[in-house]
Amino acid sequence: MTTLLSDPGVTAPPEVIAPRRRRRLSAGLRVLVGICAVLVAIGAAVPLVAVLATAFAPDALPRYAEFFTSAVDLGILRNTLVLGALVGLFGTALGFLFAFVQTRLDVPGKKILHVIALMPIVSPPFAVATATVVLYGRRGVISNGLFGLEYDIYGLDGLVFVLSLSLFPVAYLGLLGMMRGLDPALEEAAMNMGASRWQIMRRVILPLLAPGLVAPFLLLFVEAIADLANPLVLGGDYTVLASRAYLAVTGEYDTTSAAVYCVILLVPSLAMYFGQRRWLSKKVRTTITGRPSGSIHLITGWSRWPVYGLALLAAAVIVSLYGTVIVGSVTKVFGVDNTLTFEYLEEVLFGVGVEAVLDTLTFAVIATPVAAILGLVIAWLVVRHLRRTAWLLDLGGTLGVAVPGTVLGIGFVLAYRPDRYIGDYLVFPSLVGGSAIAGGAMAIVVAYVVRSVPAGQRTAVGALTQLHPQIEQASTDLGASPMQTFRWVTLPLIRPALLTGLSYSFARSMTSMSTIVLLVTPETKIITSQVLSAASTGRYGVAFAYCTVLTVLVLAAFALIHLIVGGGVALQRTAKSERPKR
Amino acid sequence: MTTDRWRGNRALLAAVLAASTALSVAGCAREGGSNGAKKDSGVVHVVCGATEDWCAATTKKFSESTGVKADFVRLSSGEALARIKAGKGNAEFDVWYGGPADGYAAAGGEGLLEPYVSPNASAIPDKYKDPQGTWTGVYVGALGFCSNSELLAERGVEVPDSWADLLVPKLAKDIGIAHPSTSGTAYTTLWTQVQLAGGDEGKALDYMRKLHPNVLQYTKSGSAPGQMTARGEVAVGIIFAHDCVATMEAGFPGLKVSFPAEGTGYETGGVALVTNAKNPTSARKFIDWALTAEAQEIGPTVKAYQFPTNPTAKVSEKVLPLSGIKMVEYDAVAAGKAKSALNKRFDTEVAQAPKS
Repeated sequence: MTTLLSDPGVTAPPEVIAPRRRRRLSAGLRVLVGICAVLVAIGAAVPLVAVLATAFAPDALPRYAEFFTSAVDLGILRNTLVLGALVGLFGTALGFLFAFVQTRLDVPGKKILHVIALMPIVSPPFAVATATVVLYGRRGVISNGLFGLEYDIYGLDGLVFVLSLSLFPVAYLGLLGMMRGLDPALEEAAMNMGASRWQIMRRVILPLLAPGLVAPFLLLFVEAIADLANPLVLGGDYTVLASRAYLAVTGEYDTTSAAVYCVILLVPSLAMYFGQRRWLSKKVRTTITGRPSGSIHLITGWSRWPVYGLALLAAAVIVSLYGTVIVGSVTKVFGVDNTLTFEYLEEVLFGVGVEAVLDTLTFAVIATPVAAILGLVIAWLVVRHLRRTAWLLDLGGTLGVAVPGTVLGIGFVLAYRPDRYIGDYLVFPSLVGGSAIAGGAMAIVVAYVVRSVPAGQRTAVGALTQLHPQIEQASTDLGASPMQTFRWVTLPLIRPALLTGLSYSFARSMTSMSTIVLLVTPETKIITSQVLSAASTGRYGVAFAYCTVLTVLVLAAFALIHLIVGGGVALQRTAKSERPKR
Repeated sequence: MTTDRWRGNRALLAAVLAASTALSVAGCAREGGSNGAKKDSGVVHVVCGATEDWCAATTKKFSESTGVKADFVRLSSGEALARIKAGKGNAEFDVWYGGPADGYAAAGGEGLLEPYVSPNASAIPDKYKDPQGTWTGVYVGALGFCSNSELLAERGVEVPDSWADLLVPKLAKDIGIAHPSTSGTAYTTLWTQVQLAGGDEGKALDYMRKLHPNVLQYTKSGSAPGQMTARGEVAVGIIFAHDCVATMEAGFPGLKVSFPAEGTGYETGGVALVTNAKNPTSARKFIDWALTAEAQEIGPTVKAYQFPTNPTAKVSEKVLPLSGIKMVEYDAVAAGKAKSALNKRFDTEVAQAPKS
């Protein structure tokens, strides 16, 4: 350790003006950039190019004119945007609510609330949608049975409800890390100058968190418009681009139209993406400056109760949905015939399902660390080390979520089915399908990685934006290489982001459906595709049983990851733990 | 100085991205395995359109009876067709089993299926097989109405026994049906209307448009409306009668099956050989076996109550006899040909229309 620090310190000339980013890339960084680029290319760029080649083939061009003159198609586009915006808004608000309760309120049961808030990332989309219909649908156990309502959940309202609840944990985890990282000194200063709680919230916390609020909004927007399972289950008359593209592929065997819909779907995703970059570059707030100096004063007044109540209500809804999944897996037909039965769980754990459970688990375990680390490294390179190329790599890393899963799946099939030869030399063996290497498992793992990278990457970008570059500069000025700085300075400071990355990657891998549904082979059975086939044949009990098993596995993995990586860094002291109460 | 370095970095990243993309996309694609000599490794890969249970039971029984190994992937017809198409020239599957024949006809039209007339096919009635031998029927299911009698009583509507009965305003948003693009069941319904209208697609779509205000949602899966009816989300589901029976079995005894008096459509579940299959001998063995009475008696053991096409197969008492139902002349070949264009028309002219 000492040798590392003492040796290069002599030779490296101190920089006069500290620039925001490093100016030169060391050999190690170049290799890192190269590795990231190749992985991104294999996982996302190549499949996308394969799809785009179809979308811009000459015979596809008239479809664009058709799209923009057709009232029906334009309506679908409008639906998609409205859905994305609403889900982004509600999801972010919900995430903020939970993060706020977690970090700023002095209330009981925060640990339980934390676990509840994480539950939605755990289960495949079909579970939430199906449980919603069972509980809050026209004949819902709660809406109809308890309140006597015949509420029509099919359509925009149902979709916003289900999607906000399923997607908000990303916003929550990101905001939680950021709010924990906020320097309490600022709040203390404001308080000392006589600001009220509300003023602090509006004038200090919210502006500081603003970049952090935009990132999840964006992620939720993009994820919501790419979501496929929920519009299929709950959409009613509300058609969105993703489900329309899916119909085109699976029903009309019309890959051209599907590719056109996807290209149009890509436009808002990319627009959101560039908008966010511009916005972030204008308003950079850095608050982690090493060791925060103040202490957090938890809100103890009466004003905490309404906020807490709101969070409890949301938590109750989440619990009711997951309760339905669990109860549904051990009753014959929940809501109609509530006889206890273990038939379904038995099928999953000891029957047909065991193979799927093991396969899915293996693939997810391989994909998780790769995805989380890749996301973090990309974010770090993008924020700190690359300038003009940053957007390219950042975009590449985000493709896994910007491109709808079905399209990516088709891209995989188009790009990686055949063996690739140059001359007589095999350069790229077939990855997809039963005849491919490892029975097609490779493609599934790559798909998992690509689909999981963006979450970790976004969170890490948010966290790094908050981290003042001078901390890292101090490290390099003392002679550490960029890699050493990353390992020993940056990484510990943004550990919450890594935690988010790992947890979310695993959950996403385990629950990913739309991409891999086209990649499963006889040798690789995947839980989510089993759920899909069980749910679509009306065997909800089995579907719920799979979801229960999945939920348990993911929660266990969360605990394990928490144990290995450790919780969020305690950069701040809480007023309660440091000093006795006055 | 600094700008030069930056250019260098950008060039590096761009070069790596471009090179790896070019390598995998432009690199000469060659399909392995399809060349010449047909080997057979004594295993058959099945893409299966029936329910998970049925697929599992069928492949297991096949291996027990013939000693040939078999595995399967369950995919809906649309997905199966897309996968077979993607594997053209480097076939991933040997046999396609289960799912309506319309899909098989569409695949056959694209040269994705290899005609094979099994010696056992002579036992199957002509209307349940393709004249060219592209596919052969393994089961038949009739389309019917699956009603929730409790809900109908609440609405003051009789159990429907004609297509016209479904159009009454009292059933607004109370009918469940799948989207014909994703569901063979719904496409059968649509094509049945075409047959009833004497082949006039416009008239058929007219009927669907009139039905539209009464439809709650076009589901992805053909059997999902059965579940929705059972739960009381809708009063009537337009599904295959055997799916209604299976839903009753799953714990919803209050359902009622009825058939339209004008005549109803039916699906023929097919089995076919995939073009350039890697294991053609085993695949043919599978097809031969799938047409036997033994294979066709598996269904009812796993809650699949379709009618067998082999007249010598024993029919479970839970299977609704086809004799009492008025059937339209269902031309699966024409239905397959018209499928993609008709679905597109349905989607733009019916499914997206506002409900008044």
